[in-house]
Formats: sequence, C-alpha cells, structure tokens
Amino acid sequence: MLVTEQDKLRQDIQAWAAEWGNRRECLIPLLQRLQREHHEISDFCMQVIADALEIHPVEVYSVVSFYQFLDERPKGCFVVRLCQTLSCDMQGKARVARQLETDLGIGFGETTKDGKFTLEWAHCIGMCDQGPAMLINETVFTQVTPQLVHDILQVCRQSFGSFSFEGREDLVGARNPSFTGPLTFDAVKPSVGLQAALEKGRREIISEVAESGLKGRGGAGFPTATKWNLAAAARDEKKVIVCNADEGEPGTFKDRVILNRYPKLVFEGMIIAGRAIGAKEGVLYLRQEYTYLREKLEGVLQEMRSRNLLGTAILGREGMDFDIRIRMGAGAYVCGEETALIESLEGQRGEPRNRPPYPVNTGYEGHPTVVNNVETLAWIPCILAKGAKWFASLGTDKSRGLKLFSVSGDCERPGVYEFPWGITVMELLKQIGGENAKAVQIGGASGYIVPASRFIDTIAFEDISTGGSVIVLGPNRDMLQLTRNFLEFFVEESCGQCTPCREGTGKLLDGVRLLEEGKCSMRYLKELCKLGETMRLASKCGLGQSSANAFLSMVEYFPNEIMGRTELIL
Amino acid sequence: MSSYRNKADQEGRGPRSTRLVEVEKPLEGESIGGRIEIEMDDKKIFVPLGTTLLTAARQMGIHIPTLCYHDDLCIAGICRICVVEVEGHRTLEAACGYPITEPIRVKTHSRLVRQARRHVLDLLLSKHYGECYACQRNNNCELQALAKEYGVDFYRFGHPNVPRFEKDRSSYAVVRDMNKCILCRRCVRTCIDLQEVGVLEAVGRGGQTSIQTFRNLPLGEVICINCGQCINRCPTAALTANDPTDEVWAAIDDPSKFVVLQTAPSPRAAIGECFGLPPGTPLTYELNTAVRRCGFNRVFDTNFAADLTIIEEGTELLLRLHRALVQKDPTVRLPQFTSCSPGWVKFIEHFAPDMLPHVSTAKSPQQMFGTVIKTYYAQKAELRPENIVTVALMPCAAKKFECNRPEMCDSGFKDIDYGLTTREMAKMISEAGIHLPDLPKSGFDDPFGDATGSGVIFGATGGVMEAALRSVIELVCGVRIESLFEQARILPVRGFEGVKYAELKLPEIGAVPDLLSHLFQDWKWLEGATLKVGICHGTANARKVLQDIRAGGRFSECHFIEFMACPGGCLGGGGQPIPTSPAIREARARAIYAEDEAYQIRKSHENPAVIELYREFLTDGPCGKLSHRFLHTHYVARGKYIA
Repeated sequence: MLVTEQDKLRQDIQAWAAEWGNRRECLIPLLQRLQREHHEISDFCMQVIADALEIHPVEVYSVVSFYQFLDERPKGCFVVRLCQTLSCDMQGKARVARQLETDLGIGFGETTKDGKFTLEWAHCIGMCDQGPAMLINETVFTQVTPQLVHDILQVCRQSFGSFSFEGREDLVGARNPSFTGPLTFDAVKPSVGLQAALEKGRREIISEVAESGLKGRGGAGFPTATKWNLAAAARDEKKVIVCNADEGEPGTFKDRVILNRYPKLVFEGMIIAGRAIGAKEGVLYLRQEYTYLREKLEGVLQEMRSRNLLGTAILGREGMDFDIRIRMGAGAYVCGEETALIESLEGQRGEPRNRPPYPVNTGYEGHPTVVNNVETLAWIPCILAKGAKWFASLGTDKSRGLKLFSVSGDCERPGVYEFPWGITVMELLKQIGGENAKAVQIGGASGYIVPASRFIDTIAFEDISTGGSVIVLGPNRDMLQLTRNFLEFFVEESCGQCTPCREGTGKLLDGVRLLEEGKCSMRYLKELCKLGETMRLASKCGLGQSSANAFLSMVEYFPNEIMGRTELIL
Repeated sequence: MSSYRNKADQEGRGPRSTRLVEVEKPLEGESIGGRIEIEMDDKKIFVPLGTTLLTAARQMGIHIPTLCYHDDLCIAGICRICVVEVEGHRTLEAACGYPITEPIRVKTHSRLVRQARRHVLDLLLSKHYGECYACQRNNNCELQALAKEYGVDFYRFGHPNVPRFEKDRSSYAVVRDMNKCILCRRCVRTCIDLQEVGVLEAVGRGGQTSIQTFRNLPLGEVICINCGQCINRCPTAALTANDPTDEVWAAIDDPSKFVVLQTAPSPRAAIGECFGLPPGTPLTYELNTAVRRCGFNRVFDTNFAADLTIIEEGTELLLRLHRALVQKDPTVRLPQFTSCSPGWVKFIEHFAPDMLPHVSTAKSPQQMFGTVIKTYYAQKAELRPENIVTVALMPCAAKKFECNRPEMCDSGFKDIDYGLTTREMAKMISEAGIHLPDLPKSGFDDPFGDATGSGVIFGATGGVMEAALRSVIELVCGVRIESLFEQARILPVRGFEGVKYAELKLPEIGAVPDLLSHLFQDWKWLEGATLKVGICHGTANARKVLQDIRAGGRFSECHFIEFMACPGGCLGGGGQPIPTSPAIREARARAIYAEDEAYQIRKSHENPAVIELYREFLTDGPCGKLSHRFLHTHYVARGKYIA
C-alpha cells in the first residue's frame, strides 16, 4: 500500500516537473502544487523533486525552509494565517488570536491532531485598512472579530475537503471597500495608452517617460526611464520585464487595489516597457497572499490575448510580440527586492545578489531584466495617454506626478488615496481624518516614524520618501510596541545572508525588550544606535539597510517615551 | 590556474548571486575603457575593468580583512567584514564583490568602515561559542585572528558561554559543531559549487538561518562523501576532522601493542606548513625521525602500497582489455576507474551506483598496506597481528571512513586501525615537544624500505595515471619509459586543469615479463593500440566525466580514468593543513614532483620490496587468488535516496 502510494507520488511529481521542462525555475511552483494537493512536502517528495530537477535534495529543503508558505511538516487541510503586522495588531489582532487558539485548541505554529487545521502567523497580507485580517488557505477574511472567527471555523469544520465561502460575505468581509476619492486610473480608458505607445518608436517612448519624470513607485524612487534606457542599451537576444507584485511592506495594499481594479493598465504598462527595451517576455511576480487575484488576472490576460493585445504581432504590428505569465511568490518579504525576486523566479532562496551587476544588465537567468513596481507600470499607459507634460506638471520638481497611498491605522477613512507628491503630512492627515495623530509611520517597516513636529514636512522623494504606506498612530499608541512589531517582522523576514541585518535586527529587538523592562542603559542604547548606523551602511540589500530605520527614528523622536520605563507604566 | 574555480563561477549550480561578477567589456576594447585608474587610501593604480576592489587592494598591498571570501570559491559578499567606503556612495561596499567599472576613490579604514567591521565582528562573536583554549583551531582561526586585528577587548553584544547545539559526531570523518558556525557559507559553496556533492545548505531565514544537512540529519546518515573539503575552508572550528590522536597515544603507551605508521606522500609535502614553513617544503625524512621519537615502533612508506596498487590495478586493466578485445566478453566494463580515493568511491556509490563495475576492485594503498602489515609483515617480524596497531598518516578525511568500512578486514582484523590527518600528526609531534624542521633525517623501516617515485606522485592529480602508464608501457612495450618521455615526465597527464584527456600510441610490443606470464602469453593483441586515458580531480569534475561517459562522449572510449575527490588530488585533501588555495596546492605539487625525480627507482614494477612480496607471499602473482583475497575489495551501491 505504502509503496504504491509512493510510486503514485513519484509519477505525479515527475509529470509535473516534465510539464515545466525539468528546469530549476519550476522548483517553487512544483512545491506549491505539492503542498496544495498533498498538504505535505515529505522527505521523499523533496528527494524526488531534486532528482527530477537535477539538483540536490538539500537545496530543495533549503528553499522549502526559506519561504513561509512552504513547509516540510504536514499541514492541516485548512491553514489559518492571522496577520500579525502593525495595522492588524492595532486593530485587535490579539483577541482574535486568543479566540483562534481556544477554538482550535492549539497554539500558533501547530496543527490539530485530526490534521484539519494548522494555525500560523502571517506577515502583512495587504488588508491593513480592514484589519484584523486572516487567510484560510487562499481565502482572505477581513475585519475579523472573535465571534466571526468561531463562525468561520464552524463552516470549515462542516465542509469536506474543499470549502467555499461564496455568498457568505457576512463572514468573509469586504475586500475592496473604503476606497476614497476618484483615481486617475479610472479616467484612463484601457488600450488608449498602448495605442499611443505603439505609434511611437522605442526611443520616443523612453523619452516620453523621461520627460514625465516618473520614478519607481516601490519605494526606492529610481527614475524609470533611466532603468529602461540601461536595459534597452544592453546587448542580449532575450530581455525580460518583471512586474513586482510582491507587495509586502507592512501597511501597503495599493498594488492589490490596482491589480484588482485596473489590471489592464498594469499589463499595458508591461507591454509598453517591453516595447521600449526590446523584451518579448513579461512576468508578473504575484505574492502568494494574493492568490485569490490570480484567477481574475489570468482571465484578463486571456482576454487580452484574444483581442491581440498580447501574443505575436500585437494589434497587427509585425515584430511587436509580447506575452505575460504569472508566477506566484511563496511568502517572503525580501522578494520585493528586485534581485531577490529574480533569485526567487529562478527557483532559489530569495536572497539578494551583489550589485553591480544590476538586473538591467544581468538579471533573470542572466538576461537584461527590468523590474518595475505595479504602480509604476500602471502609470505608464496613463502618461502615454495623457502626455508627459500633464504628469510632469504635478508634484514637485524632484518628485513629479501623482502617487497612491495606502492609509491605515488610527484614522477615520482608511483606504487608498491618490495625491500629488509634495503634499504635507498635515494635509494628508486632514484628508483621511487623522488630525489628532501623535505620529505617522510613513514607508512601512522600512520607513520612518514622523512625529507631530514634522507634520509640516512634505511627502516627496527629496523629503519624506515612501512607497506609499501610511500608518496613522493615535495619541495613545506606544512607540515601543510599534518598533517591536517592526523588528519582530524584520528578524523573521531578513533573508539571513549578511551579518549586519541577520544578527543586527535581533540585537535591536533585544534592545527594545530591555527598554520595555526599563533595563536598557543609555550607553547600550547609544551603542545600538551606532549599530543601526552600521546596518544602514553595511547591509547587503535595501531591506537590511532600512531595517534599523524604525528603531533609529523612535530613539530620535521619542526618547522620553521609551526610556526609564517601569512595570507600572506598562 | 585552477579551472574548477572558473567552473563554479560560470556553470556552478549555486545561485547566480554567488558567481563571479562579469562586466560587459566596451566594444572598443582596451583603448577606451579597458583599464581604469582608481585611488585607494591615497595610492593610485590602473586595473582592468571589472577587477574587484579586493583584488585591486591586494595588488597594492593594502590589507582588507575577509571572512566569507575564499580563493577557491565563488563570491558571496555576505559577511560584510570587507566593507570599504567608496566616495559618493550612499552605503559601504563589500570589497570582495564590488567590480570596478569607473574611476573611484576608496577609503579602506575610515571611521565608518572601522565601526562597521567592529560591529560585524561583535555580532558574529555574539553567536559564536568561543572556547578558544579547547578548540582545534586555536591559533589558526580566522575569526580569532580578526578579533585580535580589530582590537576586540569586550563583547558589545554578549558572548555565549554555554553551547546551544550538540556536536554532530556521527560521521567517521567530519565533526560538525554548529555552536561555532558564523554562517559564512564557505562550506555550502564548497559542497555545492566546488564539489557538487550537495550535503550542506543554508536553511531557514532571518535569525533562524543555520547550515544544515538534508532535514538536519546527522552527517553520518546523509550522502556526505567525507572529502573534508569543507573542513579546509571553514574559517572557525565549526567543521573539524574526527580526531583519533588520543587513541593513537594510548596504543603507543601500551607496551603490548606494536604501533606501525605508514606515511603518505602528500602529508610529507605539507606538514611543514603546520610548523611555519612555506608551502612546498618536503619533510619526509625529518618526519620519520619525529614519529619514531613520538613512540611509533615502525614507520613505513605508503608508496610501497602505492606501487603495489599500480601493479594490481594495471594488471586488472590489462585483464579487462584482454577480455574485451580478445575474448569479446560483453560484460566487461571499460573504462576502468581508479579506486584509491575513498571520497570518490563513496561519491560513485551514492551518485552512480550503476557504474560501480567500472571501478577497479583493487583497494587503496592505505588499505592494501594495512592487510600486508597484519599478514605478511606480522609473519615476517614474528608478531601477532592482534597486537599490531596500524596507523595511517593521510592527507585525507575520507580515509578515516574508509578504514572503518566493514569490508576492510581482509587480514582477519581491522586492516587499518586509525587514520590520522596531516594536522593531527603535527599536533602529536608538537605535543611531544618536537620542532619538526630541526630534526635530523632518517629512512623508512625495512622490509619495505624506500619506495619508488611512482608512488610519490600519487599525491598530485594525474599521478596515479602517470605511475600506471610508466609501468604498463614498460611491461607491455619492453622499452624504457625514459626513451619516450624525458626523465619519465609524462607531462600530458600533469597539471591542474579540472578534466584532462590524453592518448598514447603503444610504440611497439615486447615480451611478456615474468611477473605477468601466468596471465598472458603474448601482447600481440595490443599491437598498434592507442591507450586513451582521462584524469579528473574534484567531484564536480568527476560528475562531468560520468555524464560524458553516459552520453557516449570521448571519455566513454577511454580505457582508464583517474578520479580524485579533492581539488588538486591528495595534496589538496581534506586532512591537509589549513588554509588552502590554488597557490598553496601548486607549491605542494612542485614538492611532490621534485621528490619523484630524486628517487633512484621511479617505476612501480621495479620496486624490490613489491617483487619480494609477490615472490614470498602473493605467490600466484598480480590479480591471483591470494591477491584477490588480500588486496581487492567490493563496493556498496548506496544510491542517493535517504530513507
């Protein structure tokens, strides 16, 4: 019996691997499929996979251990993942967690004895405006309360294997509400921008984008046209456009909204980028937390193919070939870093590469690769449709155009907003109903705490730079708790390669714990700040370099709140 | 220089992030951007485009500390100890991985650089269970050296004073102590890129990252081939060899035991490094004096057994050829593979068990000698074999595993009791208060005496092949090898390329010598034949050769292929002094080839002790019944699946 089961598994795996051409690249999709269909990635399976892909079993094991959504331990039929990141934390995740534990009779990281439920923590699942949020398998639940948790688990218990919450909006919660004000994306009709781009040559497209002053919307703010230019100049037969939809920054969910509402704009942006640099291949790297969007996106791609917006000779233009495929992430924040993302696409651990060489020269499988954020790509057809001048006329000198913000936390109207760059923090707070905030966390875990004294500052690349995450902190929020939440996030989400980030985040977290107990000496606090400086300077990638930001800005702006604490104050 | 280095960089299986950086050269070539002037600490230098900052610094004599960097391995850029300040850059850059593509100004010891390095060290020390006094790598530890260099006088972020993990002693060859691991991943790159064995990988992420085997199983239970290359490249004592010196001392101190040591050529060319001598200083005869002073009763030269191996393996090859060419036996498997590298033997047992019939059944020199000592020598010296303790000084970690294989008991006892590495021998000698380089020279003990040059060159890649060719050609052709190759140097099989191929047309055929007359009547069937041979070192190259054979490439037409598990052959073995690098291995190779040329007798079949052994003991000649009983073995098809 056992033998035949193993043989069946082996045949399955070998067949799946063959579908993907037995390439290392397919390791992660293969593991995801195995996990989904068999709820377990056993030792045996890892070895069969290694055999099929001609890699070592320990490499498979290593990759499995890297990604949060892959696990070599058997999982329950229902994997319940509760978001533990700041926004959900602030909205009462603790009570939901307690209810889940009592209801299931297990702790986090455990599986029930009957093998039905596995309970886990998740890092930001992109539902910050509707927290607390949780995932059960691929279904997302928002604004969960202890009472709802019980009802939801009840539905799971009563289902056989597959479960469906269709028509149970009362339980699932809304996925896309609290959408505030009109977005420019609404006003741009699909395929207008693409048409305009097809009229233009490669150089013209790039110079149009250059004129618009568009900079990367993922957070780093690298000029998009410069990136394209470098990739266009690289000499290679094959080039790749990657859309980075691994939106993992705590407090960010705008990409989810864009993908849900305006997927065509994003895909058109990819096609235009492909035309600009001479790429024929596009990959959407979608984080696994957003699996529920995949079906819809595949449908859009299929529709675009049938309308000849994708495929060969797009809209009848000879030589204008481009197609897009979707690759799922597997739960790793660091894969939002472009080189880590490329590693992940190649079936490796998502560990950032040494730079240079930059992806625009040596990227996916060694080919020139442009990795752009979802929002960046969505703006491209808008710029081409409405003209670079329109875009450049908005914002500030160094930060042109409009920006989407994901707003959550202690404010009246959380959601996605569109503002021009250069808006002051105060103005923004007025728009979202959060005027009485004590501070605002801008830029997520890798961003900075902006105290009330700096609310007159502007949000722009040259001032307070951000990828769009805005978490409002009300007057009663504890800064230390916030910093601890972020550091816990980094300790787990660091890829673990380089010393400053791997070990440094842990030391800062220990420092926060000491502060909480009121046992951190001034001298040690100063040492930790210096360590933070080292982490910023000496870490290998952007994640590591920004992992100390929250700690440093807390110490800078709120020394009175964090020092000299006793148990009584807590 | 060493081609496996390039291999790991270009086609290695590790992540692309760890490969050497390639920089696109401008089309115009040297004239425009080929060379760039950079300024480092007020010194200026022109370097080729794409040179890393570390290479440039080394050329200028500027010291930049490194930990995760290793000359043999592809670049990781993860320890961040080598960070330097590049003017105008927002962050510090890792010197090991930063390619120079434009004129830049670099500061290698600014305040921020010093602060960052000190922090990196403090962070590493906060996880490193340092028990320096009781550590195998005391005084030869890169972390310890850096702590001194950067003036670590207190632990800013703490220091563990109790171990967190249990030592993994399950392997006969390699001991893992994860308390000392600093996650530089040199072992990972060694195991996956350099050797392509794939036992060690980084597992988990963030603060939970650790180096593990598959499912964190004990090393003794996974597909480790015991090559010990990871030991040679570990900067700390996280990976060490399984040290049997206490047992060896106990045997020496036991008056009822007769302790016999055999020394292999590679340790003799390298042990001086443990006593502060430059690499490539042979100390063969000083070592004899030292081990006698330590209390070993006899010291023999492994080269005797190497010569014996050549006779047995060479005869086996001739027999296989005869069966294939004359008897047209379809079951005979060619090419024949060498079997003297125990790491390679375990590699093929795991990764290509179906090809085991290719492997020569002749045992390795170490094991042949063990059997001969406990049978022939015991008789001759009138000793009871159970009282003899055989110790082998080897450059190898895998030999420790080999001597513990259950099939290695042909003498009726454990043929070799203990395998010592070069490092462990140096430790015993120091413990005895002896400074090796100062000692007078002394020869090997009878009856095996001095061996031949052919045995010596076993230590270098291509050596087994060269030794075999010398003997086979002389035995078959009846001509002196010196008439074909100047000073018997068969250069086509020497050198450090990862994979070598050579053809040799037999110039004529002679009469069958007495030694083989019981097996062959004439050599007519070899008339005009061309001998095709292959040589490879490092198991990554071995894998390539095996693939080529499966695909029916040119190696499938070879007659004889030499495989060595370690890069450079035995002289780069996992038991050799630390550190290792291509330059060090080349120096050791020079010492070995020089020693070969100093010998009077340089061909295995002329070794008088070997001839004597066949006359007195193995009376039915090479590959006869007796030799099969004592000198040959069989292998285990292990496969790569772990249950």
